[in-house]
Amino acid sequence: MPEITQSPLPTSTKPTHFVRRAGDEPPVQEAPIRAKRRPQYGQIVTGFVAIALLVLFIQSQAQNPNMEWNVTWEYMFNPVVLQGVGVTIQLAIFAMLISIVLAFGIALMIQSNNKVVSVIGRAYVWFFRGVPMLVQVLLWFNLAVLFPVILGQDTNTLISGFTAGLIALSLAESGYMAEIIRGGIISVPTGQTDAGVSIGLTRNQALARIVLPQSIRVIIPPTGNQFIGMLKATSLVSVIGGSDLLTRVQLIYGQNFKILPLLIVGVLWYLILVTIAGTGQHFLERRFNASQPGSRRSPKSTGTAKTTNIRTIIGGALWRK
Amino acid sequence: MAQVAPAVTSTDTMLRIDGVHKWLGHNHVLRGVDIEVRTGEIVCILGPSGSGKSTLLRCINHLDPVDGGVIEVNGERVGYQLHDGQLYEQSERRVAKARQHIGMVFQHFNLFGHMTALDNVTYGPARILGRPRKEAVANARQLLAKVGLADKDDSYPSQLSGGQQQRVAIARALAMEPRLMMFDEPTSALDPELVGEVLQTMRQVAEEGMTMIVVTHEIGFAREVADRVVFMDQGRVLEDGPARDVLDNPQHERTASFLSRVH
Repeated sequence: MPEITQSPLPTSTKPTHFVRRAGDEPPVQEAPIRAKRRPQYGQIVTGFVAIALLVLFIQSQAQNPNMEWNVTWEYMFNPVVLQGVGVTIQLAIFAMLISIVLAFGIALMIQSNNKVVSVIGRAYVWFFRGVPMLVQVLLWFNLAVLFPVILGQDTNTLISGFTAGLIALSLAESGYMAEIIRGGIISVPTGQTDAGVSIGLTRNQALARIVLPQSIRVIIPPTGNQFIGMLKATSLVSVIGGSDLLTRVQLIYGQNFKILPLLIVGVLWYLILVTIAGTGQHFLERRFNASQPGSRRSPKSTGTAKTTNIRTIIGGALWRK
Repeated sequence: MAQVAPAVTSTDTMLRIDGVHKWLGHNHVLRGVDIEVRTGEIVCILGPSGSGKSTLLRCINHLDPVDGGVIEVNGERVGYQLHDGQLYEQSERRVAKARQHIGMVFQHFNLFGHMTALDNVTYGPARILGRPRKEAVANARQLLAKVGLADKDDSYPSQLSGGQQQRVAIARALAMEPRLMMFDEPTSALDPELVGEVLQTMRQVAEEGMTMIVVTHEIGFAREVADRVVFMDQGRVLEDGPARDVLDNPQHERTASFLSRVH
């Protein structure tokens, strides 16, 4: 068996000790070797195919006599349609606002130490998230069957299609929003509560003043998403004559039987609304995305902490990363 | 361990922990802990992780409830009141009031993320103690200057290094004019380079006569600053004595083996 001898390291393998000295910068290369990325051939090919298909489709539809584009353009800015667009926007905004207010309450109930209150909150979410929105819309519209008179008034005159739709959309949405808000609350580290409590806040005060303001940045992006969903969900109220965009479009084609051109009017308006909301959503996400630390301005001097009050409540969402 | 609780609590006792037990689930985390801290004393608590040091601190200001035993800060029970020989938990409001004057510094700083450094320090005095805003702000600026961060008033926590955040956290606790300051592994989450600046700030606080309990792994700090060192393991106090005695001449074999490995 050969004997293993430990030979001393040859001098050449002794690690060198490099120290960067001032003025010891590497020379800038006159013509560095450029490294080019491989061209995306697949992308170029699919691009051509996609454009070709799109052109073919548009061409075929533009020439399709059954589409009657002139009818579509004629009704696009018809006052009745425009009113419907207005109603749809109102429904979406009001339903969203109401649902957010409700959802904050429900989320706090679920997070409460009071077990009974917590279970009630969970039951609420279970019901309003569980029953399909369309069914809820129908339920509220037919409330008169259960309660013919509310507050001394005839239920059917009190609750119009719009009101029934608004109530149904708000309640159904609040179930989802409650879960989003609860997720936001949970996302704030428990150390924040510990710190708030350690300087003398009660647990509820710490939740309201320390945790909630910080949860808003997590809550806002999905809320934008929900709003886009809500814009489309408003079309459900057409089943009870909610006078929204779809209701009006249906009303018109019920008279002139130009079904497809008028549905296209609806399609275009919904796409316009969703695109506008989506753009807003994009900017909101840019602002609140925690993974983009460089996206915000550095703080400018704001003098004293006089604004703390407002800042901690509303502006909690707007602090710079 | 020869630890005899004094029969009569002397008037200068800042903290008295007497026979405290604590369970977390089935885990008996604190098994009868007795510690007494005199006013102005600086006590370092050492021990392996899981020995109950941090839990003990959280029990002192009732962040976690105890399951038995008594904790008194400045002669007042924290979180409980005695009634017919039984201890009853106090209302959230009373507990919050009691916590106002027990400062706590956390391992992960826990600065309020939506407030600037200045607002973090101002918040307690202005919103909880009800001090006039101007006075609170002026005081907060002084405290920030003291911890060496006068120029960081308007910075948000995420714009500060770990060491800077921890120094703001110390200022935030000091702003409440605490009678007792508790530090829960204040340098454990820091880059090695930043440990020194936080220890320096703590040294400064110590020199001003603050009563301090410091849970730490910084033996050097304990040796230099602490009056007393308490060694805990498995929910018990194994050794409690003058800092140099315990550190240089540990009497319990567990303390000795722990110190020999940490050094």
